[in-house]
Amino acid sequence: MMKLLYPRLAQIRNRLKHRNSRTYAKTLIMVFFGIFFWAAIFIVFYRVLAYFKGIEIVGAFLAAKLLSMVILSFFSILIFSNIITALSVFFMSEELQLVTATPYDSDELYLSKLAETVIISSWMVALFSLPVFLSYGIIFRQDAAYYFMVLLTLIPLFVISGALGTAVALGLVKSFPARRLKDIFFLLALFLFVGLYSMFRFMKPERLVDPDTFFTVIDYLSVLKAPTSPFLPSQWVTDVLSAFLFQKHGQDSGFSFACLWSTALAFTVMLGWCFRRIFFDAWTKAQEAKTIRVKRWSFFNRLLEGVLSPLSPPLRAIVDKDARSFLRDTAQWSQLFILLAIIVIYLYNFSVLPLDKSPIPTRQLQNILSFLNLGLAGFVITAVAVRFAFPAISLEGESFWIIKSSPVGLRGLIRCKFWMNCILLSVLAEVLIICSNWLLGVDLVMMLLYALTVLLMTFGITSLGIGIGAAFPRFRYENIAQIPTGFGGLLYMMLAMLFCVLIVVVEALPLQMYLAAVESGQPLRPGQWGIIASCIVFIFSLSAAACIVPMKIGLYRLSRLESF
Amino acid sequence: MIRLENLTKKFSSVTAVNGISLEIKQGEIFGFLGPNGAGKTTTIKMMAGLIKPTAGDVYIQNWNISTHPQQAKQLCGFIPDRPFLYGKLTGREFLGFMARLYNVAALHIGPRTNQLFELFEMTDYGDDLIESYSHGMKQRLVMAGALIHKPVALIVDEPMVGLDPRGSRLVRRLFRELCNGGATVFMSTHTLEIAEEMCDRIGIIQDGQLIAVGTMKELRAASGSQAERLEPIFFRLTGDEALEKVTDSLQL
Repeated sequence: MMKLLYPRLAQIRNRLKHRNSRTYAKTLIMVFFGIFFWAAIFIVFYRVLAYFKGIEIVGAFLAAKLLSMVILSFFSILIFSNIITALSVFFMSEELQLVTATPYDSDELYLSKLAETVIISSWMVALFSLPVFLSYGIIFRQDAAYYFMVLLTLIPLFVISGALGTAVALGLVKSFPARRLKDIFFLLALFLFVGLYSMFRFMKPERLVDPDTFFTVIDYLSVLKAPTSPFLPSQWVTDVLSAFLFQKHGQDSGFSFACLWSTALAFTVMLGWCFRRIFFDAWTKAQEAKTIRVKRWSFFNRLLEGVLSPLSPPLRAIVDKDARSFLRDTAQWSQLFILLAIIVIYLYNFSVLPLDKSPIPTRQLQNILSFLNLGLAGFVITAVAVRFAFPAISLEGESFWIIKSSPVGLRGLIRCKFWMNCILLSVLAEVLIICSNWLLGVDLVMMLLYALTVLLMTFGITSLGIGIGAAFPRFRYENIAQIPTGFGGLLYMMLAMLFCVLIVVVEALPLQMYLAAVESGQPLRPGQWGIIASCIVFIFSLSAAACIVPMKIGLYRLSRLESF
Repeated sequence: MIRLENLTKKFSSVTAVNGISLEIKQGEIFGFLGPNGAGKTTTIKMMAGLIKPTAGDVYIQNWNISTHPQQAKQLCGFIPDRPFLYGKLTGREFLGFMARLYNVAALHIGPRTNQLFELFEMTDYGDDLIESYSHGMKQRLVMAGALIHKPVALIVDEPMVGLDPRGSRLVRRLFRELCNGGATVFMSTHTLEIAEEMCDRIGIIQDGQLIAVGTMKELRAASGSQAERLEPIFFRLTGDEALEKVTDSLQL
């Protein structure tokens, strides 16, 4: 098995060996963010569990329920992730062409590929599940045996998920083309995420911390009821860990523990049998190219040509190409569902705000919330732009040579991508800000001010996305979702959020002066006008800098790029 | 038509291309040969404007590609050795895209696309997504894309890779016809027979330096070889000791 895994391990070793100061800096920043998210998960779970523990009678029940839901979520994510990974590892890896031509041992191939699938699919879940288990361990005062048991239960869970995912992938590839399946499962995974996110939000989890509704907690628990079954491996993990956390050590957990390990081993062996029977046929099938014919849809073509007619032919070519690729690539258009979920939940949050229950006067609260809304909208646009604007240049992929060798030039390409994204993101930003302010009952003057501010923010955010995306392009990727996961994506998120915070903080001062003057009915003093003017100049200058500087840096770095 | 002046490219401490100067006349097919890692692809990438030279200049019809990239690139067609294309476009859409990039008048795009599809025997595949094309089909499509704006200079890296014998014959004829019509072709190749058969002049690059340029007759004279074929001349010029060692070891 190790001899087939050797090339992968050697690649990792070489990557670690051949590092320079730039890669060290990148790694440091990635580690910093990893620790940040890790710590954030730990703090959230620690506080929630501490709160649960303080509730008499139902506290432990709530903590157990939460544990069951978390492990079930991990299991679901792992299965989806394993199916998608197994499709890549078992059927689309480049080295398979070479391996299958050698006198390979099918057991070795199977075990090495299964190990690769399990590791790729599980490492992130393993890493970010640790703060969850750690917070449980600390709150419920566990010793080393509990942590050792976490490890001993997670390993078979990962293996079971890997075996199940691989079995599904093997079965499906025998009947359908592998590349198409990967798209379909990516789409399903996205639906799962959007569904879980929306379901969680519409369950109104805030009711749990609202003392007024606390008496209805039993009803609430019935809503929270997770689909558990004694036959689910996630439930076995929950049983084993619950026995440690909420009862005496190891009590009643032996059977579940045995179920976990015996199932993991049995699945590995049975999948091995299936692999020997199915793999070569399925792999052969995965190599067959399927012709995909596209109908010449004259209405769509005419519509696109009409919309793009004001542009010069080269720019029209780029926008037209991007629009067609977007609509035909499942990985790209499916991200619209995330966008839709964000808008709906964003606006829903404002529609359920209990403004009348607050001790702060409604008018003042409206102003505070609408102002905070500006920053929030900025963060949402940043999060959307990281999925659309940031990958825009990288999406040229290995076909980047076409644009670079053409007379359009990189400046034209960057500008074109900027305007495409900026127009769409501005529409989204204005919809979010106008609708949420309308739900808050904000007056027209403030509405216009926020609409203008968010427009400036969107220009800056888009430029940061395109510019940093161009400065750190990733032309080789399997899926668009991978593009923002590197150093450039992190840098963009940091700078875009800093930009939003700066705009909001600087705008707070003149706004406060203006609102105070309106409240008191006193006109603004000349000194105050001076401060307001300075702040406005600063905001416009910052926005202009955010629009120009990243694009210039992106253009500079992209034009110096020598390998793509 | 195409002029390289003291063209140099350094990657950190490695000099990939070292002061190449060369002029290729209108209507000429120029073959660019050399062992692996000699600097052929780097030279071609600089000529196509994909990477910047460390020193020196590339001129296409007197337009410097570094200072006037738009004008120089408008005159060029570039065919890379690996045909990476936009998989989600159809062949027909790709040619439309290339035509617009090179400012071909809208009126001419349809007829020119049909003409090229016919020439490259791809008419039946025009509405298929490129991702479903074979390597050879993609290579044909790249060639069609490079010719859509009727370039006066064609820069080609390994034109025959992935082409079947029929496609290969088509390309050989096409290049000759283009040159007869006044275009210039600069192509790199590893296939000495193709260079010998097609090229008016041949340049040989080794370790980033141009070690010989000329017609077959001139190369023969430069190498001191009396051989009829290009292969022995090439090995004489590039030093065949290494090759002998390889062939000896293979015989073991």
